[in-house]
Amino acid sequence: MDEEILQDFLVEASELAEQLDSQLTKLANNPSDRDLLNSIFRGFHTIKGGAGFLDVKPLIEVCHRAENIFDKIRNASMEYDDNAADIIMRAFDKVSDYIGDLRDGKRHLEDADKDLLTELDELWKGSQSTEIKGSIAAEEKGLKLAVGADPDGDMTDEEFEALLNQRDTSNSEAPNIIVEKDNSLKLSTDVDPDGDMTDEEFEALLNQRDEIKENTELSVINNNEWLTETASLIDPPKKITSVIKKPKVDKKMVTEKVTKKPKSVAEATVRVDTKRLDEIMNLVGELVLVRNRLLTIKSLDSKQEELSNAVANLDHVTTDLQNSVMKTRMQPVKKVFGRFPRVVRDLSRKLGKEIDLILEGEETDLDKNLVESLADPLVHLVRNSVDHGIETPSERESAGKPSKGTITLAAEQEGDHILLSITDDGKGMDPDMLRSKAVEKGLMDEYTANQLDDKAAFELIMAAGFSTAEVISDVSGRGVGMDVVKNMITSLNGSVEIVSQLGKGTQIIIRVPLTLAILPTLMVTFDKDSYAIPLTSVQEIFDYNSDLINEIDGQMMVRLRDKSIPLLFLSSWLSPQKNLTDYNLHKVIIISVGNQKAGLVVQGVNGQEEVVIKPLGVMMKKNDGYAGATITGNGSIALILDLPGVMQRFQNN
Amino acid sequence: MELSAADLKNDKEEALLSDEEQEKYAGESIRCVLFELNSETYGINVKKVREVLRVSDIRVVEGSHKHVLGVINVRGIIVTVVDANIYYGINSKKVDDLSRIIIVEIDSENVVGMMVDRVLEVKDIPVKLFEPVSTAKERIPKYIKELAHFKGNVILLVDIDNMFDDVNN
Repeated sequence: MDEEILQDFLVEASELAEQLDSQLTKLANNPSDRDLLNSIFRGFHTIKGGAGFLDVKPLIEVCHRAENIFDKIRNASMEYDDNAADIIMRAFDKVSDYIGDLRDGKRHLEDADKDLLTELDELWKGSQSTEIKGSIAAEEKGLKLAVGADPDGDMTDEEFEALLNQRDTSNSEAPNIIVEKDNSLKLSTDVDPDGDMTDEEFEALLNQRDEIKENTELSVINNNEWLTETASLIDPPKKITSVIKKPKVDKKMVTEKVTKKPKSVAEATVRVDTKRLDEIMNLVGELVLVRNRLLTIKSLDSKQEELSNAVANLDHVTTDLQNSVMKTRMQPVKKVFGRFPRVVRDLSRKLGKEIDLILEGEETDLDKNLVESLADPLVHLVRNSVDHGIETPSERESAGKPSKGTITLAAEQEGDHILLSITDDGKGMDPDMLRSKAVEKGLMDEYTANQLDDKAAFELIMAAGFSTAEVISDVSGRGVGMDVVKNMITSLNGSVEIVSQLGKGTQIIIRVPLTLAILPTLMVTFDKDSYAIPLTSVQEIFDYNSDLINEIDGQMMVRLRDKSIPLLFLSSWLSPQKNLTDYNLHKVIIISVGNQKAGLVVQGVNGQEEVVIKPLGVMMKKNDGYAGATITGNGSIALILDLPGVMQRFQNN
Repeated sequence: MELSAADLKNDKEEALLSDEEQEKYAGESIRCVLFELNSETYGINVKKVREVLRVSDIRVVEGSHKHVLGVINVRGIIVTVVDANIYYGINSKKVDDLSRIIIVEIDSENVVGMMVDRVLEVKDIPVKLFEPVSTAKERIPKYIKELAHFKGNVILLVDIDNMFDDVNN
């Protein structure tokens, strides 16, 4: 297998698979949408083409069958019903798995699942009744067209053949194409799937051209490159030159075809390695720091007007540059949301529920890393809503609600944060039930539980070891659920809020920063050394007052509004040589990590600062308590504290 | 590579620079950055060296290994600095004007700074002069690859790959 071609194929195939995923889900609501059917057909077909060239047998087998089925569906000789949808979905999952395996470096895939193939064949045959006797004749005709094609059905060979055909026909005269095309359409309805390659290839080639036009200009180059490259590997170079020589003709054909279709907006994009973006981001961060230093120098010496003008100018440009670079890392939240229609559909079918999923604010932009890290927690929350939130149709009707439940997944930007919410109109949560459950599980005593207000009671579901599902289903409720979600969100410097009304529904609100690269922090100091504490965890700051401190079982605690909170004396870790005993004039910072609270005792508080997170160098991985480092305005290094790690550190001592 | 005049003005250097002897040492050679630790001369293959820096502020990171001095900012990248003396089990010398940090590439992604007593120069050392370390001790230290007798000096060739093979811990 040629690794380079394989990589090209994988990039293309992954994008197609992503597209197919959302298209298949759309199709479930709109089973007769011809454009959609065509596009799905093309998707499977293109994957098959690439797989054929690389000789990935299982992928070819599944795609080929799926393609046949969609060929039938789009020609209205069969229905896309629920049964078909299930089988197709499973076939699609297999296709994604294969692509995933290849991407993970597997080069020898297992044979395709026989059962699935049989099911696909049966599905296809089930609608075979319309087959006419003339099919043999048609097949022969088809074979004639495929002169010179590889008998093994190597797609790309034929694709190339079709390309040649296309060139020939377009050389002679345009009307011919249309005749050919009509012909091919007739053939493909009746013809045996093994005989109709060339026609389909031909058509697919046209379609492919359409897609190219629809997509970016850059991908035109890529695709052409790919095609030519492909061609060069199997055919004498003479033919290739003829292909290259004819771009004008190709373009003309494309325009002919495109005019019949609704126009889609052309967008010019470039694919860039994220590592490169990180580098640029890093350099811009440096530039910002240099600017900050210049600004400080400028304010010291305000006499030189020219210098001060130049620095002011630099200030503007740097800020704009920083924003632009930041934007390059942004991706629409659609990337995550896209998978949910499928998740909800599969689950609700399994559980016998009727659910509408509404997506809002899909175009909201998020940092790429965040988009990826949010996927898992969101899937979990949506599954929870489907499983625990929405009732069965009969339950809903007896509660006087429409039998179809609604789940709304929304995203919006709020200042420098993104708000994500999952809202269902299901049965809501019962705070009393949660309180008694907490007591039952031994998380707290009855008195404390009754003290909790409703909001705090809802938050109990995010405590470790708290799962309310009576019966553990394979959908949710394995007891590792919400606390893991909460931890994941916390590690993204985000927060989770729960609003629920018994009988009316539940809303879970996630708040995460726009980007992971920049972190709002509170700067604290020990002598000259500064440390940054993530601001999202900071709750309040007050002066250290020994009157408020008690020693309870060897642990120093501070009293705060009738609660005792353990104190962590950071100086014992961060400036051990000083051996402080008098903490007068120190400050206490109350932080909350998960559902734990602690008071950090620090020497000084320097105020708020937004910092660029940089990884610590080598040999620091086993050093708990640091999340990274950053460079402050005056050029020195500040260490960023990782609060869960800090808590861990103090618990172990 | 910054080498101050002071670095080069030394008896040992003059011996190394002698032209007559230069001819005797023809053939394939390894280009090395030579530096000094506790009055011994060490060499690092120049391919592994990214740059040599004067010592600036080193930020101490509490809780790290004892041979880790801290981290420095090299144009926006945080780089760990180790004290080569402590790493090699030699008593560390106080940082002075001659002290330098050699930024060494461990692999394509990781770099580390080595604090050394001073950096001497860059020299081509013929491959044929290198020989395995023979020592009275049972264990040959893993960071020394080979040594060379070169113009009356003993040069210890540092094996960077082996020395920092556990950096991800």
